[in-house]
Amino acid sequence: MSNSHSPSTIEIVNRNLAVRYARERRFRRLGLAAVLSGFAALIFLMVTIVGDGWRAFQQGYIELEINFDAEALEIDDPADDDQWQYADYTSLIRSALRERFPALQTRKEKKLLYSLVSPGADYQLANMLVENREWLGQVQRVRLPVDDDIDVLLKGYVDETLPEDERRISNAQIELVKGLKSSGEIALGFNHIFFTAGDSREPEQAGIRGALIGSFLTLVVTLSLSFPIAVAAAIYLEEFAPRNRITDIIEVNINNLAAVPSIVFGLLGLAVFLNLFGMPRSVPLVGGIVLTLMTLPTIIISSRAALKAVPPSIREAALGLGASKMQVIFHHVLPLALPGMLTGAIIGMAQALGETAPLLMIGMVAFIVDIPAGFTDPATVLPVQIFLWSDSPERGFVERTSAAIMVLLFFLIAMNAVAVLLRRRFERRW
Amino acid sequence: MSNPIKNPLAAEQLVADPVPSAGEPISMHPDADLSKTVGKIEVKNAKMSMRSVDVFYGDKQAIFDVNLDIARNEVIAMIGPSGCGKSTFLRCLNRMNDTIENCKVTGSVLLEGEDIYATKQDVVPLRAQVGMVFQKPNPFPKSIYDNVAYGPRIHGLAHSNVDLDEIVETSLQRAGLWSEVKDRLDQPGTGLSGGQQQRLCIARTIAVSPEVILMDEPCSALDPIATAKIEELIDELRSRFTIAIVTHSMQQAARVSNRTAYFHLGYLVEVGKTDDIFTNPNHKLTEDYITGRFG
Amino acid sequence: MSIDNFTGHISQRFDDELDAVKGRLTEMGGIVEQQVGDAIAALLNADVALAERVVKKDKSINKLEVAIDEDCALILARRQPAARDLRFVLSIIKTTTDLERIGDEADKMATQAISLSEEGKAPHGYVEIRHIGQHVSRMLSEALDCFVRQDVELALKVAQEDKAVDVEYGSALRAMMTYMMEDPRSITRVMSIMWSLRALERIGDHARNIAEHVIYMVQGDDVRHLGLKKMAEKVKQR
Repeated sequence: MSNSHSPSTIEIVNRNLAVRYARERRFRRLGLAAVLSGFAALIFLMVTIVGDGWRAFQQGYIELEINFDAEALEIDDPADDDQWQYADYTSLIRSALRERFPALQTRKEKKLLYSLVSPGADYQLANMLVENREWLGQVQRVRLPVDDDIDVLLKGYVDETLPEDERRISNAQIELVKGLKSSGEIALGFNHIFFTAGDSREPEQAGIRGALIGSFLTLVVTLSLSFPIAVAAAIYLEEFAPRNRITDIIEVNINNLAAVPSIVFGLLGLAVFLNLFGMPRSVPLVGGIVLTLMTLPTIIISSRAALKAVPPSIREAALGLGASKMQVIFHHVLPLALPGMLTGAIIGMAQALGETAPLLMIGMVAFIVDIPAGFTDPATVLPVQIFLWSDSPERGFVERTSAAIMVLLFFLIAMNAVAVLLRRRFERRW
Repeated sequence: MSNPIKNPLAAEQLVADPVPSAGEPISMHPDADLSKTVGKIEVKNAKMSMRSVDVFYGDKQAIFDVNLDIARNEVIAMIGPSGCGKSTFLRCLNRMNDTIENCKVTGSVLLEGEDIYATKQDVVPLRAQVGMVFQKPNPFPKSIYDNVAYGPRIHGLAHSNVDLDEIVETSLQRAGLWSEVKDRLDQPGTGLSGGQQQRLCIARTIAVSPEVILMDEPCSALDPIATAKIEELIDELRSRFTIAIVTHSMQQAARVSNRTAYFHLGYLVEVGKTDDIFTNPNHKLTEDYITGRFG
Repeated sequence: MSIDNFTGHISQRFDDELDAVKGRLTEMGGIVEQQVGDAIAALLNADVALAERVVKKDKSINKLEVAIDEDCALILARRQPAARDLRFVLSIIKTTTDLERIGDEADKMATQAISLSEEGKAPHGYVEIRHIGQHVSRMLSEALDCFVRQDVELALKVAQEDKAVDVEYGSALRAMMTYMMEDPRSITRVMSIMWSLRALERIGDHARNIAEHVIYMVQGDDVRHLGLKKMAEKVKQR
């Protein structure tokens, strides 16, 4: 058919084929590069955080022989809990240290000696004795956390080549620690304080338990308020509301609310809940309400999407059998939409878990040592704790900040995993 | 050649067609008069009786002045090109159009002499009386048993679990599905084949013991063998129920129905005995449609 | 050209198939018409060669009948025709059968022509043959015409003419009886003539059948066994 001057279709196609494939390869490589660079950034973040933070799970401990002498502790009535709690444990530690190093006699040397142990160690000692009351009058070997400067030294962060006056630790301290280390009396161990203690000014006494429980309580409030409200709102808007100007406005506003900066919700909470209603500051209840306001639009939007995804054929089938509107929704639509709604809720919760700004506004940024026991106890939350620690000058807080971030990320990933699992488990195909 | 749209009314209807067919535009025969239905509308002993039914979607009219009787225990087929309003009309018969916003139905639709569009009429009992089977098999994502038991449960038809078991069994038997599923009633209905799913949907509908069953293209998603089974089933069901079926397949209408109604652009053009419609229709449009000259 | 004044089918090939089968039928009709004419001519002119040609050609009619039936079966299987198309195909099938039978009758006449020619020329009965033959030939050509043109009026006329042919046939039979009584020696010859007359009468019946098929095809009314009066009423109704 075709002569030599007019190439056939297949010839033209073949000529362009190489260019087309090259274009395709280029596009694929670009995409791959984008994914890889994102992945690299993630890896870098993880490596830095883990590299900085893993040491926080270790803590230097010193072993001391403590003589729980009832007289020295001035406990004459074992039935009186106050006497146990408020006895002078510091002097017990100090005398144990003096007995361990009888050679150190001067005031300066003693001060050096005392600085080995954490200033908060007397609380640990008090707790140990309260839990083991039979120890009274006995001599026991106990492990107490060392001071954060010594901890830093143990973890090898101290540059010993620097001139002595530029370090926080003197040569004498270093010698002392080296001696104890070689005898095994000072060693690194698992840092259980980090998980069991509240906040503290002393890094070695600081833990995330207060912040974790604060976060938990706040999220309980958020979830129990936002999920029912959001689901109810979504069902109303999707199934019952007439299509008119008012519902349009509501819809637009919900979408806009999802994009409002979270600190604005904090300001709202401050203005309305604290100032107008006079609710207490720094408490999980108010924090939860503020985060509810923030997560509501997210959950409403995802719930509506889940409701919309229920095929109309299912509704028609139920309606055609004579089910009422409520029956259609509660027997068919809701069960099918629930996995999607739950996923949305969990993602909203994860967002709330990581939120700092609105909570700063309502005072959850305060320094709170006590572990909150209820919704109206002052508390802080994990991200705020991270924010606080990252601001602290002590070397020990650097690693604790990273460690807290790791804990936070762990919970975020766990929550997202639960969302994925729920979807897998309950998603039905039709 | 003659102008395809001579009748000014017809031109308006072309515009008013709510669902324009995807293919080529429907050509109007020059001497087509749509406003008067050819054939006998009335039947003795009518189960349902529609008079001057108009349906509007917003300000677009989809059905124009349809008058039709459906006799007791007959199978009436509604045929016509896409967008002719046959499905819309069918959905009027159990007020499924209520779910569509801005859909307005005027005229009277009588079921046993009662107007189903009367203000005192509740749609829930109406739909228990007039059941519906849809184009796509749509079993609930529940077990086969629960699918069939759902209707009796919500209407409280069974007094005990034994009762309910019996209703489920007889319904599945009548739908010709019992022998295929009796050993796996607890398995999801969505796991059945397409034809079985559609028969499950029919079983679900007849479990409520409706008086009329509306079928909206029940076989359009099925293969020929499944279709043949459904047609066989319709034939068996006609002794107990009154059936109105919308179908795209003219052969199907010819096979299963006693009477056939031909819709065109929202008008009921012709209604008559199926045997006559398919060998010797009276209206030119009907003839054109069933001989495949447009559609 | 489409089979009628309707617009064409959506499927152009369906139209083509219907046109093709109609063309074949027209061809068959033409051959049959020719055969009848030739058979009459062979009989009247004692033309043995022509008669032998007629006998030979009957085979091609049979072949056409088979071919048309096959076409119709295929159309039924492929297109599932309805209404007018269905009636068209059914009428074609029946008309083919009638045409084939007419062919057979022409064949019979040609055979009679051959046996008559062996006994020499004789005037008895030829007038009747000529007269009825002309009449039947006209009927046949009109029946085929009305099929092609879908003309119900003409079909009615063909059916009415069949009545006249039957009357003519009756009187011709009586004339033949007279011949046989007058001259018993001529009985064999007259019997041959009578067979031929009988064949012509049958051809008239078949032409009437074809006309009835046309009425069914066009109007959908089955007018067989109705009587001319009612048939006329049915035709006039439209």
